[in-house]
Amino acid sequence: MSSEMASAARPERYLQAVDSTAFGVVEKPLSTWERVANNAFARKAALLVLLALAWEGYARWLNNPLLFPTFSATIEAFLEAVESGVLPGRALTSLRVLLMGYGLGILCAAVLTTLAISTRIGTDLLELLTSMFNPLPAIALLPLALIWFGLGYGSIVFVIVHSVLWAVALNTHSGFLSVSNTLRMVGRNYGLSGLRYVGGILIPAAFPSILTGLKIGWAFAWRTLIAAELVFGVSSGQGGLGWFIYENKNQLEIPAVFAGLFTVILIGLVVENVIFRTVEHRTVRRWGMQS
Amino acid sequence: MMTTASRGGVAAQGRDRAVNGPLNGPLLDVRGVTLQYKTRDHLVTATYRVDFEVFRGDRFVLLGPSGCGKSTLLKAIGGYLTPVEGEIRLKGETVTKPGPDRMMVFQEFDQLLPWKTVAENVMFPLVASGRLAGAAARDKARDAIAMVNLASFADSLPHTLSGGMKQRVAIARAMAMEPDILLMDEPFAALDALTRRKMQDELLQLWDATGFTVVFVTHSIPEAIKVGSRVLLLSPHPGQVKAELNSLPRDAAAADAPGLLKLEQKIHALLFSDAVEAEEVAHVV
Repeated sequence: MSSEMASAARPERYLQAVDSTAFGVVEKPLSTWERVANNAFARKAALLVLLALAWEGYARWLNNPLLFPTFSATIEAFLEAVESGVLPGRALTSLRVLLMGYGLGILCAAVLTTLAISTRIGTDLLELLTSMFNPLPAIALLPLALIWFGLGYGSIVFVIVHSVLWAVALNTHSGFLSVSNTLRMVGRNYGLSGLRYVGGILIPAAFPSILTGLKIGWAFAWRTLIAAELVFGVSSGQGGLGWFIYENKNQLEIPAVFAGLFTVILIGLVVENVIFRTVEHRTVRRWGMQS
Repeated sequence: MMTTASRGGVAAQGRDRAVNGPLNGPLLDVRGVTLQYKTRDHLVTATYRVDFEVFRGDRFVLLGPSGCGKSTLLKAIGGYLTPVEGEIRLKGETVTKPGPDRMMVFQEFDQLLPWKTVAENVMFPLVASGRLAGAAARDKARDAIAMVNLASFADSLPHTLSGGMKQRVAIARAMAMEPDILLMDEPFAALDALTRRKMQDELLQLWDATGFTVVFVTHSIPEAIKVGSRVLLLSPHPGQVKAELNSLPRDAAAADAPGLLKLEQKIHALLFSDAVEAEEVAHVV
């Protein structure tokens, strides 16, 4: 009873919202420094500079150019090799083989996963093959590839396909499986089936996983390529980056060896941070499927 | 396209059906439908010998507690599930697979394709089903989006919209297709109470404008009375028809509060006459 009276005694409140001009900031742009610090690219660039400085410092302190050349010597050797046209040529050779193997690997993965989502036996086949071959290092197949395809592009492309195929297929398939049931039903509601269903619904809906697969596949392909070139290097007269590294090691041109490694890293950075990042921004981020 | 031309007439016919009777028989005929689905270790019977007929212009509500198989029934009408007994006929033809003549609106907010803008989402089924192409599809999509009051969001991506807006896009997408029948699976269940009410009003306004036929699934009695013109009550485990009622006329529903309350109580009594069992069900689910 008393509490009822207390609540009845409390007055009701009616207020007017204050106009926004009456108080300070509603929305204000961030300072330049804050915006730079928010930029992942700027932060990574800063880290790169720090790493380069650490390298330079350590190499100078070690003072043994045969074991560990300085950053500046490496850059010098790099620029020299670029100017002479040797390094770009080698990089181009490597990239050409790489793209061939990568493309072929993705194509095989597409066929396998399409088979896997349309039939149960296809799923079994994909699962079986991936569990068998995914752990098998591509380079272990190289001797066999050399017997089958000879000393040339063929055997390198073969091992690259092997290294790309399973990573991409596995990720794509698990992406397809995780597409929400609602989206599947929406697709079927539109009367889509077969390849139109895969292309119109499954692939975009599973794109985050597919992109991860493509990234992993790219890294595997790159590693396999350099390793394969180091093993038997020269093919049809012109070698790639792996051969460039091997050759310079034999001539004890250690800064050039580092320059070769530097190029491998540089291409990796560009592909990851420019190409894949752009794709990511234009697709999964824009679509709100990944934050 | 004939449907477009005759829309107004059809709507009027739907409203006056109680007086005039159907002209060409039911649009959707569900006859003796038993539905079963398998979980990991059970075979579940979702509905048992359910019969009902939906006529043009009906706002037909499937109402029942959780576990009465109303969503499963709607999926079967959508063609995602084949009855083990009985048949579902749309315009006299047995439903065998999903198709754009029965557009679905789901409860989930993720039913829009996240990689397409609002306009592209509405356009996609038009183009994919080969109904319209190019500029015609774009115009149709724009009209449908304007109808649900989202014209200024036509180029937004779904993840930037609120839940209510996403459901409106889903409705626009379905309406643009001008399906024979619109299937709505608790489309407003995941919305907050205020938005939900607004969406119910908007749906009725859309119906006033175009007079579409809709089968609407809900577990809310007030929603069923408000949205529906006819209400099918289902009992749980497995779903069987308990009753088929006429809802209140729309203008009456607002004015006639005692009548509304009486109908609500009547439906409640019908649904929960075996209250103990229903309570148990509610706990299990």
